Amino acid sequence: MPDRPINDAELKSLALSGDATFWGHLVARSRQATSFSELFFLSTLRKKAKLYAPGSVQPRLRLALIGGYNLYPLHELVEHLLAIRGIECERFLGAYDNFVSEILDGSSSLYAFRPDLAFILPNASHCRFSGSLLDAVEHQREAAVCAAEHLLNLAQTFTARSGAAAILANLALPGDVDLGSFRSRTLGTDWSFRKAVNLELGLRAPAEVQICDVEFLSARRGISAAADARAWYESKQLGSPDFLVDIAQELSHLIASRKQSPKKVLAIDLDHTLWGGVIAEDGIEGIELGDSSPRGEAFKAFQRYLLGLSQRGVLLAVCSKNDHARAIEVFEKHPEMVVRLEHFAAFKANWDPKSDNLQRIAEELRLGLESFVFADDNPAEIEIVRQFQPLVTGVLLGPDPAEFIVRIQAGRHFEPRTVTEEDLERTAQYRQERRRAELAASVTDMPAYLASLEMRGTIKEFDSLDVPRIGQLIARSNQFNLTTTRRSETEIKALLGRPDYRCFTMRLEDRFGDSGLISVVIARIDGGVFVLDTWLMSCRVLKRQVEDEIMNEIFRLAEVAGCTTVRGIYLPTTKNGIVAEVYEEFGFARTEDSATRREFELEVRKYQVRSTKIDVARRAYAAG
Amino acid sequence: MQQAEVLAKLQEVFDGIFLEKVAATPELSAADVDEWDSLMQISLVIAVEQKFRVRFRVGEVEAARNLGEFADLIAKRMKP
Repeated sequence: MPDRPINDAELKSLALSGDATFWGHLVARSRQATSFSELFFLSTLRKKAKLYAPGSVQPRLRLALIGGYNLYPLHELVEHLLAIRGIECERFLGAYDNFVSEILDGSSSLYAFRPDLAFILPNASHCRFSGSLLDAVEHQREAAVCAAEHLLNLAQTFTARSGAAAILANLALPGDVDLGSFRSRTLGTDWSFRKAVNLELGLRAPAEVQICDVEFLSARRGISAAADARAWYESKQLGSPDFLVDIAQELSHLIASRKQSPKKVLAIDLDHTLWGGVIAEDGIEGIELGDSSPRGEAFKAFQRYLLGLSQRGVLLAVCSKNDHARAIEVFEKHPEMVVRLEHFAAFKANWDPKSDNLQRIAEELRLGLESFVFADDNPAEIEIVRQFQPLVTGVLLGPDPAEFIVRIQAGRHFEPRTVTEEDLERTAQYRQERRRAELAASVTDMPAYLASLEMRGTIKEFDSLDVPRIGQLIARSNQFNLTTTRRSETEIKALLGRPDYRCFTMRLEDRFGDSGLISVVIARIDGGVFVLDTWLMSCRVLKRQVEDEIMNEIFRLAEVAGCTTVRGIYLPTTKNGIVAEVYEEFGFARTEDSATRREFELEVRKYQVRSTKIDVARRAYAAG
Repeated sequence: MQQAEVLAKLQEVFDGIFLEKVAATPELSAADVDEWDSLMQISLVIAVEQKFRVRFRVGEVEAARNLGEFADLIAKRMKP
């Protein structure tokens, strides 16, 4: 990431000279762009630079944009913002205001395009209450529910027919001052009716339909600044040019985050970050924290924000150059501390380089460094981490604690698609893990340790209630993941009734707590061969014999399905090296071996069932 | 601002948005440039408005028949 924004002329000369640093600057400038002309300039520059340095041919995302507005030049911006995130598109633009028939007509050019994803942008001004302002509120509310259901039905018709995912935009609110204070005393005005429709859209949308919150985006920019009547009359635009940038930034973020896992860990500094001042110099009475000063309040509010992150499943870690005992003392004794030791999954306060400490934290938590965000007030620390741990994303908090929250949020690293129960429990689970590690250290042999955990597992075929968690594991698991095949929730649901697939999950709990749903297997029956399309497992249950139970179940299901052979596939990535040998450890023989793909086979009759210390309840495919 | 000054600034806008080199001359019209279709027109008008900090009234850009007339319109709208 370049540290200094460069001007247009410099950027242009980099682009035209084929300089490799151009792309880093282009990405940084594009992500921050908020004005149309700037983004359009960057998009053109990208196309020019590509003439000089044609990129590699990647699989393209087939993206359809349809709706009640002119989708040009919005698509140009979306395409650019996806390209700088490494996603090249093949696109389909619906005809202006033709999206309803494009969706309902199964033979339309929309379906012929075979989209992976559609963005549906309904026209807000078509969404009005047709009755009187004085109609009963219940009646008006029913009409809002109907309008929301109508849009959701369209989106679901599209997902069902195409097998693709849908992102549905909600409605921008009108900025008219007409009606004055009466505006909000009824649901019949455009203002309150559309608000009601938007609420229903969000609350009723099924998992496979994601909502793009246009109402929020226009409120954030300011309704007057987002609206543009002339642009509507002249070319049927959704709003002002700069508002198109807001929509494009949001949409490309939503699309990119569908298949990229969110960050899991926030590692933070202590001095000038959790409190004002330096604990080693100012002492516990001297640091700024709490309601007695404006700066103290800002630090306390930042801590409250961190606590909120931790409560929805982001792991917090301390990574500070500090005296360990003095640092701990603040957490234990300062009455204004909001985050306490139990909110941290790891705690490193010492004099080693932060890049080393981040490495240790990653090992302790068994998470890859690419899932780390590191926040510090000191630009030098951010720079060192950038150089020595380039996988870690740095966030410079700067000198003003009132801006910390905004600066962390700007990167949008911690947005969940859905919040699962596991998220809410995650920090507790990592704390349990620390207690397990302490027990392991006190027990001398492994079998005795495993027996003392009193593990109970549940193996179950895919259940529609588990789909959000399965989807999350498929999107996030990188290390214990044999094929790293990402699937959307729509794709997962499509597997539920397939007779040629066997899909199951495993949950694990022990005397320290519930680890939840921790492993997913998707197998395809191909004649007499049981092909393991997907096998992934949460790394926090490594070395607990879960692998053995999973393999036992695979061979049980293969036999019941009448298969003679089980075939395992390993697709190497930079992150899944830990499972390269796993099939051979179970006695499989290598049948295909290339740099990008390995296959292994083992005859069903030759598999030796492993005995484990896990007490397993089986509910997959009528096991009884 | 004189037409020539406006055209010089328009040249910068053109260099930013057209892939090919397009010279901003008074006689130029959209028909002379392959890339300049009705969709590019939208982006061009937005870029011009932001560059010159002007706001055109509904329908008036369409009425300009070539770049010279467009430049005159820009100059007119720049007047306080």
